[in-house]
Amino acid sequence: MQDKINDLLQLPIERSLKKNIEIIEQIIENNVDIVKREFVFHGPIDISGVVFYTDGLVNVQLIDSEILKPLMIYSSQIREQDNTQVTHFLAENIKNHLILNTAVKFVTKISDALENILSGDTLVLLDFCDQGFIASTKGWDARSVGEAETETVVRGPRDGFTESIRTNTALVRRRIRDPYLRMEAMKIGEKSKTDVHIAYVKGIVKDGIVNEVRERLQKIKIDLVLESGYIEELIRDAPNSPFSTIQSTERPDKVAAALYEGRVAIFVDNTPFVLLVPTFFWQYIQASDDYYSSFWTGSFFRLIRYIAFLISLTLPSLYVLIVSFHQEMIPTTLALTIAAGRDVSPFPALIEALVMEISFELIREAGLRIPKPIGQTVSIIGSLVIGQAAVQAGFVSPSILIIVAITGISSFAIPNYATSFALRLVRFPLLIASGTLGLMGFGAVFVMITIHVLSLRSFGEPYTAPLFPLKPSDQKDIIIRAPWWKMQKRPQMVDDNPNRSESGIKPEPPKANSGESDTDKKSNDNKNNDNNKNNQSNEKGRKVKQKRTWRK
Amino acid sequence: MKKEKITNGMILAIAVNLVYTKGIGVTQGIIARQVGNDMWIATALSILQGIILVWVTISIIRRIPQYNIIEQTEVMLGSLIAKLVAIVIFLFFVGAYATVLITYVYHIKDYFSPDSSILLPVVVGLIVGIYGTYKGIEVVSRFAIMGLMSILLFNVLIILGSLKDFDIKEILPIFTNGLGKNIEASIHYNTDWAMVTMVAAILYPLVNDQKTWFKSGVTGIVFGGLTVLIWPILETGVLSPEVTGQYIVSCMQLARAAEIGDFIHRYEMIMVALFSISLYVQIMVILYTASLTVAPVFKLKDIRPLIIPIGIILSAFGYWIIFNNVRAMTFLTYYWPPIAMSIAVGLPVLIFILGFFFKEKLQQTKANLPQEEQNI
Repeated sequence: MQDKINDLLQLPIERSLKKNIEIIEQIIENNVDIVKREFVFHGPIDISGVVFYTDGLVNVQLIDSEILKPLMIYSSQIREQDNTQVTHFLAENIKNHLILNTAVKFVTKISDALENILSGDTLVLLDFCDQGFIASTKGWDARSVGEAETETVVRGPRDGFTESIRTNTALVRRRIRDPYLRMEAMKIGEKSKTDVHIAYVKGIVKDGIVNEVRERLQKIKIDLVLESGYIEELIRDAPNSPFSTIQSTERPDKVAAALYEGRVAIFVDNTPFVLLVPTFFWQYIQASDDYYSSFWTGSFFRLIRYIAFLISLTLPSLYVLIVSFHQEMIPTTLALTIAAGRDVSPFPALIEALVMEISFELIREAGLRIPKPIGQTVSIIGSLVIGQAAVQAGFVSPSILIIVAITGISSFAIPNYATSFALRLVRFPLLIASGTLGLMGFGAVFVMITIHVLSLRSFGEPYTAPLFPLKPSDQKDIIIRAPWWKMQKRPQMVDDNPNRSESGIKPEPPKANSGESDTDKKSNDNKNNDNNKNNQSNEKGRKVKQKRTWRK
Repeated sequence: MKKEKITNGMILAIAVNLVYTKGIGVTQGIIARQVGNDMWIATALSILQGIILVWVTISIIRRIPQYNIIEQTEVMLGSLIAKLVAIVIFLFFVGAYATVLITYVYHIKDYFSPDSSILLPVVVGLIVGIYGTYKGIEVVSRFAIMGLMSILLFNVLIILGSLKDFDIKEILPIFTNGLGKNIEASIHYNTDWAMVTMVAAILYPLVNDQKTWFKSGVTGIVFGGLTVLIWPILETGVLSPEVTGQYIVSCMQLARAAEIGDFIHRYEMIMVALFSISLYVQIMVILYTASLTVAPVFKLKDIRPLIIPIGIILSAFGYWIIFNNVRAMTFLTYYWPPIAMSIAVGLPVLIFILGFFFKEKLQQTKANLPQEEQNI
């Protein structure tokens, strides 16, 4: 059966409309959402025609007003111009003079025709014509542009990507009115034929990166692409690593900024998550707010996020190794407090930490999956389990409760969900090694994680650049966020055009003289300029007057 | 296996890491037992000798920058002698790995996990070392840069924590043992430089931009030397040379004595965490270089099949040495310095001299190399 349909799909569009309809109907069989509407084209002779479209994916009003109405009512205009038999010439005339649609193209194969119908376009077939018209009539219900739910900001634009690829590219294009911005289209997924666009700024991005992205995308052989996660997993440099080497974002401003750092954006239809490559580890700790608030605020909160990152990765492990093996490292008063708290718990510190960590993950996961109306139930149960009740019941010590809570909060301070998830994942081997081998185990696993991260690459670029390997000029936007006027140069990854502007970014403030404020000086300067202009114009007027008088 | 390339900054970081961990503690303990408060002078003298050693090694490699010391020997004396040289260098790395294990295991055993078996840190070190070595020298070099940063932080912490107890009188008078005795004692720190020399002899062909080799080599030694030199000065001024000489790992004693303010009074764990990065860099670099040394003996282009067996050989010998404290310290004080110096000084000097006799042969080989290989 599959083979038969495949054979039919490979057929060309015939001159006989009846045969074409038969072929299409054999392929689509009893699909209720694919609509067939027959009509008569009153051209040089009366010709039968048909339109095919997918109900729900098209704007029916467009079909009525831009295709059917001109073909059925205004067809006489063609008759006056052309009396030849139905040929390709007529088809051209219909396209050029009759169909009002903004994007019309011809197809000659059944497979192409079907692909367009299923994408939301409309196929027009006429009898005696061996090609079909495809008119762009896409129009389906889509979520309107709203706030990016996974990347909220205090200051900054509120618009986030939607499930429509065209809306998403428009959101970026609105921010970059640069003719060098390129968007290339391709389709991935043998069955889903998902629209995928790659965007980059020519002259900023290295050609090698664009070629690499293009090549990897073209090599994907998969039947369905339902979300950008599919693409991400298939084109990653290190597919087995828990660390993601491809950044995904819901924010158009983030994409626009990334394009001018020499990166490539990959838009996938049906998802609000756009992929950015290459990606560096440090970018996961950066948030859009860093760039919109003052550099002091941006740098401070970035440092806080780095601390959160370290806490999230190491705090439970450090607690367990100190409490289990190296108690002498804690100041005496704190050691006594922890020991008193641990008296109630029958379990070793490692088991306590593991149970609490798993419970926390359980509550987080349940909170995510649970229907909103009963979400509060999870909160209540969560606060009971990871709360005073667990301590009072003697299951855990109060100190581990605080450790797990701080770790949990820290993991949510990391702006990227994928990274926060990776950290939660690698935290467990670190915890087990610390609980069994103490400092030696912690050191060994930590070094292995570090080595692993150092070995990663994202589209050929070292994942830990520009710190390892060190690129001194790029340090202004890694640990801290330097002021914009200090970031005259783009990141080193940019191909050419390394400066953000030819002259300095920041306008120089006016030079002040003693005894007057800068603005006073500027006002006086302006006044003087005006006076000079007035004097000049008065002088000019006088001269003109004199001339006129002289003429008189 | 793709031929990896590293930068001059990376080789500099490797050099600093190689001379640091053993140099600040175990070596200083031995030197303190020999020359007392002149231990910092012996260390400084050793740094000067290190500069000469590395200069000779880089001069050898620059004759054919694409060939390491074994490959150059092959050009001059044939494959059989080259294999012999490879085995000798490998034996050097077997000994060097044992000295690294002494530093690593005694830190753990004496200060953090006294009840754990000796085998445990040896196996843990081996696993981490193998993992890092599998990732390649470029990754290890990046890790070495991280190690370099941690060394700097470690030094800042120790200076902040111990300066208040520093007594300059402990250092004075200087040269109490005379210059000769200090030079004799400097041989112990020379063994650490020997590691740098041998690693340089094998790894320098992987370093980009040969014009700056001398600069990076000498900078590495001066920088590494200075980061280490601060320790004998502090150990003498804070602990006194007598106390320093009492301990196998004298740096840990200094770290224990250090405290910042009233609350942060036991931060040796943070320091050891920083220090351990450098230790693991040593383990990985030695394992990588030893594998690279042996590869031509077995006519292998890819070192990966060798990493595990060589790791096991190095660890087995190291375990045998450290299993007995007395054996370890005897090896480190009496046997290792002459062995290390005769290989790390004797071999490069011999090949350096032989290079003058086989100058034409070397130049011919260099000229016959493909153009792109010549422009590294």
